[in-house]
Amino acid sequence: MKRAIAFILTGVLFFALAVPMGALAQKKVTFTLWTKEGEVTGGVLEDIVELSKEFAKSRPGLTIEVVSYGVEELRQNFQAAAFAGQGPDLLWTVSDHAGPFVAMKIIKPVDNIFGKDFLKEFVRPGLECVELDGKTWGVPISVGNHLMLLYNKNLLKTPPKNTDEMIKVGKELTRDLNKDGVPDQYGLVYNLNEPFFFAPWLGGFGGWPLDGTKPTLNTPAMVNALQFVHDLKFVHKIVPVECDYDAADALFKEGKAAMLINGDWSLTSYQTPEVRKKVDLGVARIPMVSQTGLWPTPMTSGIYFMLPDYLTGEKLQIAKEFVEFISSDKVQLRFLEKHMRLPATASALKNPKIASDPILKGSADQMVVGKPMPTVPEMRAAWDAIRPNQEAVMAGKMSPKNAAKAMQDACEKLIREMTK
Amino acid sequence: MIPLTWEIASRGLTEAGRILVMLAVGVAVIEALAYLILHKWLKLKNALPFMLMLPAFIAVVALVIYPFLFNLQLAFSNMSMYRFKEFSVGLSYGIQNFLDVFRAPVLQNVTFAQLLLRTVVWTAVNVFFHVLGGLFLAILLNRPLRGKAIYRTLLTIPWAIPQVIAALAWKNEFHYQYGFINVLLQKLGFAPVQWLSDPKWAFVAVIIVNIWLGIPFMMVIILGGLQSISPDYYDAAQIDGASGFQQFRAITMPLLKPVLTPAIILGVVWTFNNFNVIYLITKGGPMEGTDILVTSLYKAVFEFYRYGFGAAYSTVILIILLIFTWIYLKVTKGMGEVADA
Repeated sequence: MKRAIAFILTGVLFFALAVPMGALAQKKVTFTLWTKEGEVTGGVLEDIVELSKEFAKSRPGLTIEVVSYGVEELRQNFQAAAFAGQGPDLLWTVSDHAGPFVAMKIIKPVDNIFGKDFLKEFVRPGLECVELDGKTWGVPISVGNHLMLLYNKNLLKTPPKNTDEMIKVGKELTRDLNKDGVPDQYGLVYNLNEPFFFAPWLGGFGGWPLDGTKPTLNTPAMVNALQFVHDLKFVHKIVPVECDYDAADALFKEGKAAMLINGDWSLTSYQTPEVRKKVDLGVARIPMVSQTGLWPTPMTSGIYFMLPDYLTGEKLQIAKEFVEFISSDKVQLRFLEKHMRLPATASALKNPKIASDPILKGSADQMVVGKPMPTVPEMRAAWDAIRPNQEAVMAGKMSPKNAAKAMQDACEKLIREMTK
Repeated sequence: MIPLTWEIASRGLTEAGRILVMLAVGVAVIEALAYLILHKWLKLKNALPFMLMLPAFIAVVALVIYPFLFNLQLAFSNMSMYRFKEFSVGLSYGIQNFLDVFRAPVLQNVTFAQLLLRTVVWTAVNVFFHVLGGLFLAILLNRPLRGKAIYRTLLTIPWAIPQVIAALAWKNEFHYQYGFINVLLQKLGFAPVQWLSDPKWAFVAVIIVNIWLGIPFMMVIILGGLQSISPDYYDAAQIDGASGFQQFRAITMPLLKPVLTPAIILGVVWTFNNFNVIYLITKGGPMEGTDILVTSLYKAVFEFYRYGFGAAYSTVILIILLIFTWIYLKVTKGMGEVADA
């Protein structure tokens, strides 16, 4: 027995010494980057892995580990990790995460780390999205993330200028080809029940979910916008009875929908050789609302680097250098060319490629009339207040007027609880 | 997609290997210390059994007891988005949190009572059909049957595929126009149903999916139970002239009870807390119509950052399940027979 104990203790000592000694000898650093890019965003994730390898070459012993999460997963996992005071060294995520992360005090302001001269290089709307309490909380990677009108030139030669025209061509293009009583080609498809896809219409009727941190949901603009999307389904019948993101995407890819509302992240997926057989992609602004003469205002945000609150020392230095590397014109243009992502720096945005490419031009043209998505945490309450009531209107179970009131009440209640 | 290269695989294996080594070292240190203290210093007679139990005990403390106590601490705190790292703990916060569970809608419109009722309906309907379907299939499979192994394999597929994949596949099958179910309904001459936009039908849809997912587990468990019943009982019953149903009632059911009781308790707890199916198919919508207790709990905590409230809420759910289990065990005396057997 004694011999066994001695053996075990020696083993323990050996391991206890060997592990740190090994680490010292190799002087390795593992830097972890969490990104929201993944399967749905085409080849971006692969590109990030490639870029991080390229970057790591400049620092011997450095390994960058790229971990991909869904947007919501990333937020939750980072909250849990930051609560424990450890986790990723850098975040590559969407601007709306800034609100809660700032409230929870789990990310750092970037003003002092990068300096004014560096931040000056980025376009204003890009920085505005992550400015809270007079500080900047993220470094833009690409701006946009906005919805736009995509249309299939095989079915529709020119995009409609206003909503009256959109409804008119929509009716012509919603067809029951096999005469079974159900249309199998639609004028317009989009994620009908998702508040993010409703926001452009709300803006087009002159409304917006929040004024600062106060909900502004029970407004005539909201009632009219809800009535409008309701009528697209029940009166004009130019959208499918049920249509979520995947259904809209599939119908458009199969050439069974003339118009689609989708975001800049999806552009490359409609230009693969397979899809090109059925879709000749055109990009335009979402048509002007005839009733008001206003352009619909898709929410613009973007993709940002955010730095965890606990980041210090060498890791902070690596994070800084990596962010600078991705912000360089070379990498920004690579994202533009390969993934059709609009760059975040003013110099890269001037690139002639944007003006000469009809799809990028359409995307940039739409972004101009977009409105930055509110970054304040109260926006989460607004989303959740809009959703069930929008669903009720789209199921024909609630009048737009009652839905607008219910949204306002729900939002006020949710904000009260969140800030309690 | 990023292909699985040798480099990635070897890195993963190295990482896993390192964790194993660290665990082994940790266990060795603990055992060495326990040996010195229990055997050498305290000279306990039962030092060896304690030493053998110690690693498992530490794991339970770290993975179950500590998180549970931490959850209780949070239930008595005001932790929220604005008080994420600097929250305070106090009895008044706890009382407030527990009262909030019952006095206001948990989400926007649905109250705790409505959610509880819906969860009970969800659990009862699901478990009833799990047991019924499982029993039916198990009895069929327990008979002499050609190609039994093939049927058994096919029937366990819903259980074998990841829930996420099954749920998302089903979600598409409930699509109004292109989903298999409505296509089938129309072929049979019925009107198509708005499965995912009508709250009532959405609830039916998630129940259908969960029944489909849960039957194989019950089937496997019950089949195991059936196979352990000695055929002698049936032979004797047949000699006495008992009918098939009489045999089922007097032999099969009582002898299945030791197997069924824990399976039903597990089934109830799992179904009561089943988050995946509902969240993946409807996210609790439309109009909060398919939210059950756990999905609303998830939303309160992870979407509205109401950590203190959420911790209190989860404690209430735990208490409900404990009460159920206790009553169920009292009524059926099921576990007693397991212990006696």
